[in-house]
Amino acid sequence: MRFEFTAEEIEFRRQVSAFLDEVLPDDWGGPAGLSDDQEWKLNQRLRKELVKRGWLVMSWPTEYGGADSSPMMNTIFAEEMAYRRAPGLDGFGTRMLGPTLMRFGNDEQRARHLGAIACGEVQWCQGYSEPNSGSDLASIQTRAVLVGDEFVINGAKIWTSLGHRADMMFMLVRTNPDAPRHAGISLLLVDMKSPGIEVRPIVNMANVHHFNQVTFDDVRVPKANLVGDLNDGWRVGMTVLNHERSGIEFAAGARAVLEELVKYLKKDDSPVSTAKSDPNVRLRLAELSTEIEAARLMCYDVTWRHGQGQEPSSEASMSKVTGTEIYQKTLDYGLEILGMYGGLEAGSPQSELQGRLLKLRMLSTATTIFSGTNEIQKNIIAQRGLGLPRARTR
Amino acid sequence: MLEELGASLTPTPIVESAVTSRTLERYAPDAVKSELLPQIAVGHVLITPALLEREASWDATSARVAATRTDSGFLITGEKRFVSFADLATHALTLVRTGDDEPTLLVVPIWKARGVDQISLDHVSGVPVSSLSLSEVEVPLSCVVATGARAIEATRELITAGAVSRAVQLAGLGRVVVESTVEYTSNREQFGQPVGSFQAVQHHIAEMAIAAKQVNHLAHSAAWSFSRNGYSIARAAQAKIAANEKIPSLCWTAHQCHGAVGFTQEHDLHLYTWRALAWKMDYGDSAFHKATLAGAMGL
Repeated sequence: MRFEFTAEEIEFRRQVSAFLDEVLPDDWGGPAGLSDDQEWKLNQRLRKELVKRGWLVMSWPTEYGGADSSPMMNTIFAEEMAYRRAPGLDGFGTRMLGPTLMRFGNDEQRARHLGAIACGEVQWCQGYSEPNSGSDLASIQTRAVLVGDEFVINGAKIWTSLGHRADMMFMLVRTNPDAPRHAGISLLLVDMKSPGIEVRPIVNMANVHHFNQVTFDDVRVPKANLVGDLNDGWRVGMTVLNHERSGIEFAAGARAVLEELVKYLKKDDSPVSTAKSDPNVRLRLAELSTEIEAARLMCYDVTWRHGQGQEPSSEASMSKVTGTEIYQKTLDYGLEILGMYGGLEAGSPQSELQGRLLKLRMLSTATTIFSGTNEIQKNIIAQRGLGLPRARTR
Repeated sequence: MLEELGASLTPTPIVESAVTSRTLERYAPDAVKSELLPQIAVGHVLITPALLEREASWDATSARVAATRTDSGFLITGEKRFVSFADLATHALTLVRTGDDEPTLLVVPIWKARGVDQISLDHVSGVPVSSLSLSEVEVPLSCVVATGARAIEATRELITAGAVSRAVQLAGLGRVVVESTVEYTSNREQFGQPVGSFQAVQHHIAEMAIAAKQVNHLAHSAAWSFSRNGYSIARAAQAKIAANEKIPSLCWTAHQCHGAVGFTQEHDLHLYTWRALAWKMDYGDSAFHKATLAGAMGL
C-alpha cells in the first residue's frame, strides 16, 4: 500500500473537517451529554447537511445519486466523522440496504427506495438478529407465509438499532421451514407502521436507548417487497453486509480519546494534571499511541486492497479486532487516569471531560461483539486467512 | 462476610463504618471511643471516611482543607470529595490541616449540621456518593482523633484497611461473575450447541476463573495479616493491585461471553461491571498501591 495520501484526499479530509467545525455545536466532545432525543435531532440535522454536500451517499454509483468515490475517500470520510464523534451517518440505508438493492432489487424497488435514502428522508433499520439467533444467524425462526399477494409475518427480532426511529425495516424471514437452514430464508422490506408491529425499547449499559425488540403479529407485507428471489434471502441479505468496511471508526475513536487525554493532561488546572509528569503515564500513553497507529494502518491497508479490486476478508477481520480492542483499551486507560473522576457519569456535577469517557467505555462494550464477534473474526483470520484446519466435528 | 457482600453487590456502608470504627478504636482518645463506639455498634452513629479533595489523591499527606482554631475547637472550611453514603452518615472522619500546618484527623458531625452542604454525584457504583462542602463548620476539640504524624499514620492505615476490604468484595464479585458466565454459556445455544462448548469461549472463562482465584487468595491473605498488632502493607497492596487489574477486566470478558444481552440493562451483568469499576478506584488505584508496594520492597 501507499503510505501517503493524494492531494485530492488531503483536500477532501480538510473539507470534511472544516464542515464539521461549522455544523457541530461549540465545545463539541461527542453526544455523551445529550439525551437520546437531542442526539437524534442532531443526527437528522447533520444528515440533511451531508446530503447538501453530496457526501451521504458519495460511495454510491453516480446513476443513483452518488459520486462513485474511491474506497480511500470513503474511509477518510468515515474516519473524520468518527474522530469527531459526529452523528448523521446512515449505515443501514447507505451501506447495507442501498448496495443490496443495487445488486438484487428490481427497478421499482430501486426507484422507490434508493432516492429516499440518498435524500436522507427515510430511516431504515435492520431485522436480522433474533432472541435465539445471534452469531448463528442462519437459525432465524421468524416466519413469513405467502397468502395471496401478501406475506404474513410472525416472530420477533431483537437488538434492532434505531427500531423506534425507523420508517422501514429490511428483514430476514423464514419462508421455507422445510428447506436446509440457509435455503429457506428471504429478505423483505417492511413498513414499520404496519399493523401488528410492536417496538419495545431495550436500554443498554450506557443508559442509552438504541436497541429494541420488534415483534410481528400477523403483519401483512405486499409480495412486491420481496428483494431478490424467494428463499434466496441468505445470499441477498449477507452478500453486501459490511461490504467495504475498513473498521476505521474504531481506530479513529481511539485516536480521538488519546488526543483528548493528552490535551486534558496538558491543562494545568485539571485535578489530575500532575499525571503528565508521571513516567508510567507517559510510557503507557506512548504504547497506546503506537497501537492506535498500527490499527489505523491496518484499516488503510483494507481500504487500499478494496481500491485494488480485492476482497480482503482476513485483513478486514484483523482490522476489526485490532481497532475495537485498542478502542476499549484506550478508554480503560483514560478512566484510570481520571481516577476517582472516572467513576462519574456523563452530566454529573464535578465530572471531568463531561463524564464522557465512562459513557463511551460502556458503549464500546458492544464493538467487540457486534458485526461478528471478535472470536468469530479470529476464526476467520486463522482459517480463511492463515489456512489453519477447522476443528473436526465431534 | 465482605466477600459475600461483594458477591451480592449489597449497597451497604459496612466498609465505611468498619474502617472508621477500627481507626477510632486504635487511634482515638478513650473519651471519643467511649462516646462513639457503643453508638456505632447499635447503629445510631455511622461514620464515613471523607479523605479526598479536588486532586482525589489517596496519599494521606495530600490533605489541604484548613481548620482554624477557636476557643472551643475548630472551624473547618473546604471541600471533601467522593464521600460514600454521606447522605446516611451522621459523621465524617476527615483529615485537615490546622493553623500551624499540622495534620489533624477529626470526626465531624455532618447530619443536618450547619455549614455542611452535600453535592450529590452520579456515580458508577450505584450507591450514594457526594462531595461535602464545608463552610465554617464548628467542630469541638473532643472530636480530635489524632494529630501530626499519628494522624497521617491512622489515615494510611484506614486506606489500607479499606483497600483490603474492597479487594475481598471484588473477589466475591468476580466469583459470582464467573459462576453466572458458566451458567449462561452452558445454556445459551448457537450453531446447535451451547456457546460454552466452543474453545474460544472456554478459554475466556478459564482465564476469568484463574483471575478470580488469584484475587481471592491474595485478598484473603491480606485480610489474614490484619491483627491487633498490625498488618502487612505489602500483602494489602498486592491484593488491591490484583483486584483492580483482574476483576474489572474479568467483567469485560464476561460481557464478551454474554454477547448482546450482557450489554443491556435487562441482564444483571452490567451491575457487577459498574460496581467493579467503582471499587477499582476506591481506596487506592493500582498506581497508588504499586508505589506503596515498591516502597515496602525497600525501593
